[in-house]
Amino acid sequence: MLKATNTLPDGALRRPAKGIDFARLPRQAVPRMVISPRRVLSDVLTRGWIESAIPFLAFLVVAGVILATTDGFFSSSNLRTMSQYVPDGGIVVLALLIVVAAGGIDLSVGSNFAMSAFAALYGFHILELPVWAVLPISVLTGAFFGMVNGTLAGLLGCGALLTTLGTMITIRGLYTVASQSQLVAISSSARYDAAWDYIGFDRLAGLPIGFWCLLAVAVTVFFLFRQSRFGWHLLAVGGNRKAARNGGIGVRRTVFLAYVLAGALVGLSGFLYAARQNSVGSDTGIGMEFFLLTALVLGLGGFTSGRGAVVSVLVGFLTIYFINNAMINAGFRGDLVQFTLGAIILAILMVDVRFKKNLHRLVASSYLDPVARTPEPVRGSEGLMPDQIAPKLAGAEILAAGQVDGPEDVILDRDGHLFCGTRDGKILRLAAPDYREVTVHAAIGGRPLGLAFDAESRLLACVAGMGLVRVNRDGTHELLTDQTERSLFSVQDDTTIRMADDLDIAPDGVVYFTDATKRYDMESWAMDLLEGRPNGRLLSWDPRSGKTRTVCDNLLFPNGVCLAHDGRHLLVASTWGCSVLAFDLQNLRAGPRVLVDGLPGYPDNINRASDGGYWLALAGMRNPVVDLAMKHPGLRRRMTRRVPPTNWLFGNLNIGGVLKLDAAGQVEDAYWDRPDGALYMITSMREHRGALFLGGVTNDRIGRLALPGADEGWTGRGSYEGRA
Amino acid sequence: MAGPDRHGSGAVSEQRLSLAPWKDRRNLLALVVSMVTLALILVFSATVQGFATRGNLSVILSNSASLAILSCGMAVVIISRGLDLSIIAVMVAGATTYATCIEAGMGGGAALVVTGLAIVAVGMINAWLIAYAELPAMLATLASAMAITGLFRFAILRGEFLLLLPKENPAVQALTSDLLPGLPVVTVMMLAALAATWVLLNRTVAGEIIYAMGDNFLAARLSGLPVRSVTMLIYVWAAVMALAAGLVVSSASGAVDFRTVTNGTLLFDVILVVVLGGIPLRGGRGGLANIVLGVALIAVLRNGMTLMNVTTQIQDVIKGLVLLAAIAAENFLNPRDIETDTAGDL
Repeated sequence: MLKATNTLPDGALRRPAKGIDFARLPRQAVPRMVISPRRVLSDVLTRGWIESAIPFLAFLVVAGVILATTDGFFSSSNLRTMSQYVPDGGIVVLALLIVVAAGGIDLSVGSNFAMSAFAALYGFHILELPVWAVLPISVLTGAFFGMVNGTLAGLLGCGALLTTLGTMITIRGLYTVASQSQLVAISSSARYDAAWDYIGFDRLAGLPIGFWCLLAVAVTVFFLFRQSRFGWHLLAVGGNRKAARNGGIGVRRTVFLAYVLAGALVGLSGFLYAARQNSVGSDTGIGMEFFLLTALVLGLGGFTSGRGAVVSVLVGFLTIYFINNAMINAGFRGDLVQFTLGAIILAILMVDVRFKKNLHRLVASSYLDPVARTPEPVRGSEGLMPDQIAPKLAGAEILAAGQVDGPEDVILDRDGHLFCGTRDGKILRLAAPDYREVTVHAAIGGRPLGLAFDAESRLLACVAGMGLVRVNRDGTHELLTDQTERSLFSVQDDTTIRMADDLDIAPDGVVYFTDATKRYDMESWAMDLLEGRPNGRLLSWDPRSGKTRTVCDNLLFPNGVCLAHDGRHLLVASTWGCSVLAFDLQNLRAGPRVLVDGLPGYPDNINRASDGGYWLALAGMRNPVVDLAMKHPGLRRRMTRRVPPTNWLFGNLNIGGVLKLDAAGQVEDAYWDRPDGALYMITSMREHRGALFLGGVTNDRIGRLALPGADEGWTGRGSYEGRA
Repeated sequence: MAGPDRHGSGAVSEQRLSLAPWKDRRNLLALVVSMVTLALILVFSATVQGFATRGNLSVILSNSASLAILSCGMAVVIISRGLDLSIIAVMVAGATTYATCIEAGMGGGAALVVTGLAIVAVGMINAWLIAYAELPAMLATLASAMAITGLFRFAILRGEFLLLLPKENPAVQALTSDLLPGLPVVTVMMLAALAATWVLLNRTVAGEIIYAMGDNFLAARLSGLPVRSVTMLIYVWAAVMALAAGLVVSSASGAVDFRTVTNGTLLFDVILVVVLGGIPLRGGRGGLANIVLGVALIAVLRNGMTLMNVTTQIQDVIKGLVLLAAIAAENFLNPRDIETDTAGDL
């Protein structure tokens, strides 16, 4: 990139400049979007629906194979026939899902199904009840046996597997006795009822009544798990009984109701079966529980409680149903079908278990996705490097040593009291004039980073992990925003502000702040350097509308923010870019331009100086090896995978430095600490009444350096109010 | 005590301290079940014609042989906190293979070797699915039961339900004969299975590991125990027991019936024996005494009801109710702690 500044003779850089000439600054290229195959893969893998990927894929494969090897399986006539038989199992598998989601199991569904179907036939043919009365008989029969299960397995807390095994055998025995005694009477009954036959055989809009029932049940159960309190309780109980109980959920009652509800659904299914078949046999519902359990397991990808995945389970059910049906249609014998089903299920389960077990490893190994980047060579600070000038910060006075933990930013109010954030989520107040008295001004949580005072002297803080927080003068605080617009074409939802870093307030009151990286948390910000991708963004929050907007996406770790002295331009330090960018507040769409680049270190916060220039903190120093490594993404990826983090290549964070920029943004002076000095990794500095206050994100102290010759009356606050 | 009666580590010391062992609540169910069994024997002896006879005793013994052998296999699996739902499928598969071998003209010994190898292979596949592919035992054996039944019916029976055994074949007759007068071979097989189970659980390192796995699988694995190889052993053990039971059943009835797999009653009986005997499904506890107790109750109940001409359906209902009562009683005596209970415990 050819730079206007570089064409000037060296001496001209140090000459006092008038201000920022935005039009002459070179443009900073900002990508519209950051796309890489590995990132898309890792983003897809972290989505919630990926858990259902294997069952869906299995379904597609099965459907594909059936389509290729048979003709007419997916013909409308065969689909129509299947739609008549699918609801039996479909409704019962959803009943099973309800129980399993709550952490139980119900082996008695097959027997219960047969019993409910018998109850319906008994009510219709023997008692000759009207159809509207047969339905509740059937449903209540199912619900009654569900209640027995629920009482034992839910209210009494007996083991579900054994309990339902017991009820399965008991109900089967009762059913056989009852159905054998009534079989002749039922089959010889000549009762005809239009409504009964309508339910059994007729179609509504081309689909059987039973299929509509299945759809209705599926939608109801879907919303039960998504939207209803009871559904949430079910999932909570299934996910973690202890947590659910401690959260105030009646665990036993919830499990009880799950069994009752499941029983009622089985009853409904039995009713539909009875209306269609008009008879029951000794084998009705036999093996149903195992068939459906297999379908459920296939859909859920294992026997997982606490998941109400209605769609997945129905997909699993259809997979099994299709295999079964297609093989029988093709004339294969039942035993081969059985063998194939068993083998296919084992294969799918094995793949699924492996996939789920290694998913997090796959995510971990694909999340960091370094890219090649060529940093601008160091320039503009010739003759000012640590080995070339005296360490001026060595003369700084140390304040509050050991009393502050990681003051990333420091700020002083009108009366000269100092405020800083700490690692444990507090805002501390160091009382002027000697800064010995340290009190907790506010405990806001998160990781407070950049600070600024608004016009009403309230403190605004960028808090990593939270967002933008306002701390009132009495120490109360409120969250102003923690979300912005979702960026276009992002696989992951990136609305949440992950690492709010620094802010400044424009004359119109709009707060401009940076979200340094959308992909890493405060603890792993260093990974963002190794990745080297533009993951950060500049955001704005308008106090009038309360709206948060993304001003500029895809910046390279945007860090410090400072309103220029002219009140029109916004300076943003790009840490990994080793540059300071400028935005024109009246034309934000023009995008950022490069105020200065080729800095010798990684710039952090930037703030105004009394002479019309700017102070720029350097959190660490570049070195040629890291710069070279930035050109080799493969090297960095291998390093993060094979080398322990303590041995990674990284910039030098052990020397403190502050650059003084002139009004046009050119480096005019540098303040270094000694290599073994107390002030290392300086992340912020504020000038206040002829002294410079220095904070460091990993330090436990604050430095104060007297600035001889600086304006003794100048304060940062005053500068913003035009009183400098 | 050189204990068939195994407990978690804490209970053993409790028991030694306690002057009255029956006050140990964990034993209460076993106590109740033995009382019930005794009461049943007394009631049946008093009311049922022909129950308390020497002939009936040997009938009970030989009829419960297959159940006892199957329970030996299942109990070991359940103590290790596993579950083998494929045990009946393996049983039928073993009997089918044996019958096919002797029909093909093999001698009894050679047929046994071939069948044994086939069944060990089946058990190893089950174990591999659980130990290496890490499928939950219930799902793996549920699916493998389907696959095994389908495969053996397809490959050997050509789709038939029933395989008739050649009764006059010496390899079959050897199984139905008496070893000593009044001591049938099947009874000897049952006693051998029980003895082998006792040795496995109480006199081998693998037995200790089985209890450790049942107590806390993760702890066992983390402390470096060879849980995978022991899992192999457990499921192969169950398969071999299933084969033995299959030989007993098929030689007695003269046929192999695949419907025993589908109707599920025998599997239910086996689980019933294990649970009524006092081996909890969560594993880590129980031993030979529990198996014997469970088999005794079910055998007496079955025999008595059959003598009283109770139909199979009603027998099923009664057995189901007995199981439910046992679960409720067990729950009342040893209430589960909802705080330590996890959702996965079924």
